[in-house]
Amino acid sequence: MIEPLSVVLSTGGGLAPQSAAAIAVGLAALATGYAQRGIGSAAVGAVAEDSDNLVSGLIFTAIPETLIIIAFVTIFIVG
Amino acid sequence: MSATGSSNPEYVNARVRSRRAALFKEEDYRKLVRMGTGEIARYMEETEYEAEMNDLGARYSGVDLIEFALNRNLAKHFEDMLEWADGELHALIANYLRKFDAWNAKTAIRGVYSGTSPDDIESDFIRAGEFDDQLLNSLANAGSIEEIVELLDGTIFEEGLELAFEEFEEQSVLVPLENAIDKTFYEHLLDDVNMVTLNQYSPKGLYVEVLQAEIDFRNIRNALRLSRTGTELDPEEYYIDGGKLFKEGQLRQLVGSFDDLVEYIRDSSYGEELSAGLAELESAQSLSAFEQALDAALLEYSDTLSHSHPVSICSALSYILAKEREIENVRAIARGREVGLSVEEIEEELVVI
Repeated sequence: MIEPLSVVLSTGGGLAPQSAAAIAVGLAALATGYAQRGIGSAAVGAVAEDSDNLVSGLIFTAIPETLIIIAFVTIFIVG
Repeated sequence: MSATGSSNPEYVNARVRSRRAALFKEEDYRKLVRMGTGEIARYMEETEYEAEMNDLGARYSGVDLIEFALNRNLAKHFEDMLEWADGELHALIANYLRKFDAWNAKTAIRGVYSGTSPDDIESDFIRAGEFDDQLLNSLANAGSIEEIVELLDGTIFEEGLELAFEEFEEQSVLVPLENAIDKTFYEHLLDDVNMVTLNQYSPKGLYVEVLQAEIDFRNIRNALRLSRTGTELDPEEYYIDGGKLFKEGQLRQLVGSFDDLVEYIRDSSYGEELSAGLAELESAQSLSAFEQALDAALLEYSDTLSHSHPVSICSALSYILAKEREIENVRAIARGREVGLSVEEIEEELVVI
């Protein structure tokens, strides 16, 4: 109990930078998933009605990927 | 697919919007009103209605073909919506589609009353509501109106029909039965909505507002008709609960004077949207033009809502209303052409926004 606590204290009382970056990436991934849930289901609906919508459906579904890509940058900043 | 789980408005919205784009537009109507029934049928074959036209083309012709194809197409689209929707969305759509249960029940009652053959009754059904094929089949084959009332036991219509049936037996007119069915439908529209916890400005609150407007418009329509014809009928019997405009007991006094009634509507919250229709009502004394204005106002309002709240029930509701309108428009054109009405006369009957 005491030993891990001292590790945390010795790094300045907070998380290690790598852990913080990992949390940032994880949260961004969740947000991407949440955004894609709505867009994806709408895209599938549109494609089911008319397969011409496939390309735009794919593009719109991929747009929230930018969230996770930008969050990915944090890894390189701390790394 | 079912009433369990969470709603999926994104999916339903995408599909519904795409289907909405396939509805007839103003220029289609402009072409249709100038065609004969045969041409209308051929025109429809090249649109949305192709499958239905091909299915029914061998059995029916002329106006009947158009009408049955319209009904079948409507049923297909609405059944599809129920299949896509989940959760609360499903429940709300199903509630609204009970309108077709009401239609089917009325069709069966009228058919049996006039001694139409079961086959003919069945072909007039619109299979979009909650009633399953078995129930519809037994409704069409019922030997008497009493049997129909018994068959409808256990549905939402049970309660009102029993009372109305006693009245029917005394007077042997269908009006009380049909009224009871319509009234029950409208009064159950808001069943699945908790009015106490409802946020007026949430999409669901706005949806409720559309339904309340529909109930109000139905009340307005009934009141104006009663007032115009000056009958001795009690307006309270036709009053539908659940709207915002009229309170119970208020109609009796308003129906007495046509001008007071029009004034009351003008001062209400609908006054602005209906002002053009009301002006026409006063100048031309034409009820039907005003009724078209009511339909158009409802359609426009639901359309606005579906744009401002795409991820909600509103877009589904607006599609249902628009599709129903299309069916009625095409039917009016086909019937009008058949009896030889002029293009202008038919155009007056159309509701296009």
